[in-house]
Amino acid sequence: MKKIIATLAFVMCFAGIALAQDELSFERKQAIDSLALEKVRDLSKYIKIVGSKDTPFSEANRVIDRAEELFMSDAEIGVSSIHSNQITYYRVRKYLEHLMRLNYDRVEIEWYNIEYVSDLQRQPDGTYVGVITIFQTFRGYDAEGNLVYKDTTKKDITVYVRRKETQIGGRTIGFWDVLLGDMRVKETTDR
Amino acid sequence: MKTRITSIIMVLLAVFITLGGTTSCKSKKRLAKEAAEAEYKSKVEQARNDLTAILDDETLWTLEEKENRVKTIKDWNLQNAEIDDLISQVEKKLARERAQREEEERRAAEEREKANAADVVLGRNFNSIANAGSTSQANRVINETLGMFESPNVPVLIIISQNPGFNDYDRPTTIEKYLNYLKDQKKATEKVHEIKYNANGKINELELIKK
Repeated sequence: MKKIIATLAFVMCFAGIALAQDELSFERKQAIDSLALEKVRDLSKYIKIVGSKDTPFSEANRVIDRAEELFMSDAEIGVSSIHSNQITYYRVRKYLEHLMRLNYDRVEIEWYNIEYVSDLQRQPDGTYVGVITIFQTFRGYDAEGNLVYKDTTKKDITVYVRRKETQIGGRTIGFWDVLLGDMRVKETTDR
Repeated sequence: MKTRITSIIMVLLAVFITLGGTTSCKSKKRLAKEAAEAEYKSKVEQARNDLTAILDDETLWTLEEKENRVKTIKDWNLQNAEIDDLISQVEKKLARERAQREEEERRAAEEREKANAADVVLGRNFNSIANAGSTSQANRVINETLGMFESPNVPVLIIISQNPGFNDYDRPTTIEKYLNYLKDQKKATEKVHEIKYNANGKINELELIKK
């Protein structure tokens, strides 16, 4: 009996140490939380640039490349309309190219209330996964400057944060790779 | 008769005293001479050992200590051809060391000045790009800034948190992408943490840290 108790104590102690090693300090966790939020904010600027009719074509294409780098390779973005209940999902590049060619003379896109709805949680494979919600207001104007379409969409973006290593200048750099997953439409209104 | 004997004794006494005094004086001089010779030999020996040790880099003395030692030996004015030759060799060696030291200090100061200057210039340019009034204005500063780098692909590391013994970084990027990022996002939230240069004085690695 004593042997069993001693063995159990050893295993629990070892498991505790292993768990402690996996857990991030408050400061480190806070840093990756902020980093993931910042990537979503960066995306909002990229979408605004791509959607703007004032952005030169070459600049828009460069920004599409940067925006695409924020996402996982198979990520999709949902598109909705107040005129239909249908939600169409596009691959990121397709979505951005579509956004660049929208048939309005002027487009305004604003993202706000960007926050976590599900905090980053560590998965068994070591990846941290969370969900960030955003509200997007879209306004499309005609040549006369009249507002011809407006909607507000609530979207959830899944974020994946993985610890990776790379070699730079002969030294190993440990970095957090933040990648955005699908951007799902949760709600669309004409407000 | 008695007076005569007394006179003879007095004369003899005077002769003895004179002779005795002369002998004693000669002995003292000889001793002094011997002591001086011994001291000279000792100094020559000491000078030879020290100078040879300096020449063969067998001392732990600093450059200043070596220079002071040579000065002391020169002040002894030993007038010894061998020592004079050693002094000449050591002086040349120390002059080379002094020149090398000054060159190293000059280079280090230059590097510090360059790093400080680059630090300031980069910080200023980052802000200029982020706050540029137009895309073309931002692009002009981007091109100007890229000129400080070895290539547009120079790696840029961004520290997101500092921990004991290691740092956490964001995904590494390149200087060209980073400068365009500042233009697109219209914000400069990082400051220069470390700059590395290649042999041509161009930046070949940049480390930034979140403000």
